[in-house]
Amino acid sequence: MILETISNILLIVGAFFALTGAYGLFKFPDFFTRVHAASVTDSIATILLFLGLILRTDFDLVAVKLVFVLVFVLLTSPTASHALAKSARHGGVATLAESNNKDNTDG
Amino acid sequence: MNTKTLSHLAIWTLTLAVFWLLLSGFFKPLLLGFGLFSVLLVVFLLQRMDSFDQQPEQPALGIPSLRYAIWLVGQVLLSSVKVAKLVWSRNKALSPAVAKLPLTDIPDNNRVRYANSITLTPGTLSIDIDDQHVTVHALEQESIEELQAGDMANKIATVLGGKS
Repeated sequence: MILETISNILLIVGAFFALTGAYGLFKFPDFFTRVHAASVTDSIATILLFLGLILRTDFDLVAVKLVFVLVFVLLTSPTASHALAKSARHGGVATLAESNNKDNTDG
Repeated sequence: MNTKTLSHLAIWTLTLAVFWLLLSGFFKPLLLGFGLFSVLLVVFLLQRMDSFDQQPEQPALGIPSLRYAIWLVGQVLLSSVKVAKLVWSRNKALSPAVAKLPLTDIPDNNRVRYANSITLTPGTLSIDIDDQHVTVHALEQESIEELQAGDMANKIATVLGGKS
């Protein structure tokens, strides 16, 4: 009963952070800031949702598998973000500060 | 093959076997045989790669790694709240910042962990890494200053660096 309540809270807060990431993805102005918004969904939402799910198991092999999935998502998602950001950087996408400076000197 | 390599491979075999058992949960002879085969295949590949690049790496399962992971989750929580506030605030203008942080204090095999930790924490993103520096993009100047204060770098160098 108590576990279920805690699990509910974790799932709701996790869902809120996932929504935050999605909203930020639309709201933020340029590529790099959008990656930041998406990383909220990648990290904190994943952690909270998986913790919430683990509390709903019987703490058997299913829970262990959920822990594994959580660990591997946390290991791989920054790598994917980094790959995206690095190729954007090398492809010449300017950061917000850089493009602002350019506007000022141009205008 | 000396004893050091053997014990290194033995640790990996044990880790992988436990991992396989936890994933499968079956104890039928046929499936155990498949498990044994896949573990041995992975250890064989590992041994080949280690003798190629000369950088054997133990599975990071000790208490220090665990403590670091817990600390990192704490950091992720704190900075997530910051980023969430930025996302939902109405009129705060964003002032993202880019900075180069030195990597020279951090042992080679932990640089990836450092860059990954930076990226995992919302609000900071490692966008490039070379021999000397990691380039970090942050949503706020403040997060760059926190990284420059070196808390995370020190933790990685002291807590995880002993194994290099």
